[in-house]
Amino acid sequence: MIFSLLDELLIFSAATVLVALILGRGLAVGWMVTILYGGQLLVLIKMAALGYGGDPIASELSLSVMGQDLSWRFDALSWFFALITLVAALLTSWFSCGEWERKFKQQRGNVWLFHLAMALNVFTMLILLASGDLLSLFIGWELVSWAGFLLMAVAGGVATKAAIRYITYAVVGGMSIFGGIALVYAAAGSLQYEAILIAVEKMSTGQLWMLVLLFGSGFGIKMGLLPFHLWQAAAYAETPGPGSAFLGAISSRMGLFAILLVLVKLFGIVNIDSLKIPFTLIDARDLLAWIAVFTIIFPTYTALKQNDARYLLAWHGIGQGGYMLLGLVTANSLGAAGGLLHVLNYAACQAALLMAVFAVMHRTGTADLNKLGGLVARMPLSFLVLLTGIIGLAGLPPMNGFVSKWLVYRSLLEDGMPLLFLGTIIGTLGTILSVYKLIHNMFLGQLRVEHEQVREAPWSMMTPMLILAGTIFVTGLLPGIPLTWVSAALQTIGLTGPEITLGGIESSSGSLDMIWVIGVLFAGFGIGAVIFYSAGPSKRVHQLDNYAGGHFLTADVRYQYSDNFYSGLMHLIRGWYRGSFQWLENSITSLVEFLSLGMQGIYRRANSEFYLLSTALFIIAWVVF
Amino acid sequence: MVMSRLQKIPVVEEKKGNPLARVFDDLVRFCRSRSLFILHYCTGCGAIELPPAMTSRFDMERLGIQPMVSPRQADILLITGYVSIKTLKRVILTYEQMGSPKYVVGICSCTVNGGMYWQSYATAKKLDEYMPVDLYIAGCMPRPEAVISGLQKLMDRIKNGEADSWQDYYRNYDYYLGNQQKLFGEDWQTPTDIITEAKHYELMGEGTLGQHTRLLEQHQQPLEALEMRLGHKLKEPVE
Repeated sequence: MIFSLLDELLIFSAATVLVALILGRGLAVGWMVTILYGGQLLVLIKMAALGYGGDPIASELSLSVMGQDLSWRFDALSWFFALITLVAALLTSWFSCGEWERKFKQQRGNVWLFHLAMALNVFTMLILLASGDLLSLFIGWELVSWAGFLLMAVAGGVATKAAIRYITYAVVGGMSIFGGIALVYAAAGSLQYEAILIAVEKMSTGQLWMLVLLFGSGFGIKMGLLPFHLWQAAAYAETPGPGSAFLGAISSRMGLFAILLVLVKLFGIVNIDSLKIPFTLIDARDLLAWIAVFTIIFPTYTALKQNDARYLLAWHGIGQGGYMLLGLVTANSLGAAGGLLHVLNYAACQAALLMAVFAVMHRTGTADLNKLGGLVARMPLSFLVLLTGIIGLAGLPPMNGFVSKWLVYRSLLEDGMPLLFLGTIIGTLGTILSVYKLIHNMFLGQLRVEHEQVREAPWSMMTPMLILAGTIFVTGLLPGIPLTWVSAALQTIGLTGPEITLGGIESSSGSLDMIWVIGVLFAGFGIGAVIFYSAGPSKRVHQLDNYAGGHFLTADVRYQYSDNFYSGLMHLIRGWYRGSFQWLENSITSLVEFLSLGMQGIYRRANSEFYLLSTALFIIAWVVF
Repeated sequence: MVMSRLQKIPVVEEKKGNPLARVFDDLVRFCRSRSLFILHYCTGCGAIELPPAMTSRFDMERLGIQPMVSPRQADILLITGYVSIKTLKRVILTYEQMGSPKYVVGICSCTVNGGMYWQSYATAKKLDEYMPVDLYIAGCMPRPEAVISGLQKLMDRIKNGEADSWQDYYRNYDYYLGNQQKLFGEDWQTPTDIITEAKHYELMGEGTLGQHTRLLEQHQQPLEALEMRLGHKLKEPVE
């Protein structure tokens, strides 16, 4: 039996899980696993032809279960997502080696379980990405859900609670997807993509609606789309450092991958567009677009209120998912490319940001934004990484986030959707405000007395952070490289990408060349630098030699404005924070609890043999008639 | 004291050499005079004349003058009224935090000679005993027209290169410090180390050091600027 490259990749990945499982209690397990992720990445790079429009690579493994053929294969879309997954896994695992791991052990963390959970996550994600039909997709989906649960629950305590909340949502989502698959099977008689594509053409509007809702909500739960977003922030933020960075970077995007595969590729944007909502002017596609926009706005402004750096970033993760979906739902060449490119750009930014936050947490022991400040003087490289990350996340040049967001904005304007555009702008405003809060409260302002002796993060953590910061800049300078992969990925789901140049895109209505944009930007910086350095001697001053309305500052007087940040803005928008979604979740929880209590009451009070008898009778009656 | 300071007025010598260098200096001075940020330290009733001077009625900004919130970016320190001893400490702190070149404008009679607070035990009478003042605008209070005409005069002086009394604070620091110590006590100090600054800007004069600065050095606890550190030079953090 000859293994294909995909088999090699999956076997490699499974081997990583085994190594983590068996040797996980040994000493250098972190380094070992990191090297194995590197090996997986190498195999993936051997498949690089996929990213440039090569033929899909199938796995030799295929099963037949109850007449259903299960198959696995990699195409350009899977390759694109797998690339992000493996790079994220490699760098976050690297981050965890050495000092972080030692400290985690000291705090009674289970290093073995952590590495095992990471390896399992990567393995299951690759299986999901390789799925070749709906059944294998479902299997991969469930595996990813449970592997994610394992990683989230590693830390114990609050994390376990968040993880249980997640798995409750995930099980509901899984059921919804399962229902969708059953319906598809009833209509198409098969779960192969080709058969479904034919069957979709003959489906009635009602059937399509049902499928869009079932699959949309099922996959949307993983992505944290409104109104299923509540589980995500706590679950990701409470995961141990590198795990959090890994989950934050890529985990939710599995939902996007599945949405692309099922809603865009199988059902087709045109079909979704034809699903009108009665008595309104909007259709299912508009519905998705608006859900995406509200997913941008609400979580982003929730992030603005957070006082824990991890939670702030985790809430952003939900919001940024909205940009991706929005771009892909517009389904024109610019928007789709922007949305898919944002998956990569966002993953790089989020991983870098979370790593920087966890590096600070590693040194200072806290991520509370009210208990930090002035760390730029002690952790300048982490500051640099965080700065790069927030510029990328906020979508400003010269970082990569600008390119993908620009493409999404552009597509909305070209398609004549000003209200959606406005929504994205409001979301971006919230992003800029909250990332400024992040960098200000952690790194700028007054250094606290207790942080006088803080040191920069160790190189085992710093190196992957710097690599990510470099990636953020390089993919911003030369977006043509990732856009080529994006373009190939779009073709596999029946969309076309824009015309690509090395520095951006070529379009009749306006091109983007980041090399020029960044050149002009840095020329501006250069002029500023010339003025600064030619203006004579400058002087460094002590942080207590600061202006506070004429007050004499001393070390015991804190002059770091962090509490009640943006009080003016909050005064204006406070009324909007009503916690409606929380209320909705609570009321559904109460309802379920109430019903289960009722059932319990009946079950416990009466004679259980009687129930058994009546159930048996009912089943017999149902079978007979 | 006044006589001795009068004798120190520098005689402007005709500069020879590269004429273009002077063109550049003139240009810099012109630009400087047309872009002034004021930090108004509103100590007394004169402050009430500033809003009309700044806003649309008299519109200071047409002259390139606008308010600034922090001393680090400000060019002019505007003292608008009587200066109590408590306030004076803050005024001196603020003045020392401003970046050079900096100009001080005293508005109202109180800054000139104590005005109606002449007999008060808690008021500093003459502002120029504690910091070099470029310009006084007398009156109780001066109207916005007077404020603006005063500021215009300051602009002219800046343009002509005459407004350099800020250098006097470095060159005669001992004199100013002595007056400050007389008022605030011997252990008076601000976070800014003026002597080091004077050395840094090469503005050491005969009067920079003296008996008062020696007194200061006995009390002074220097504040060293935070260095950016990559960490491994440091000791293990105390846990």
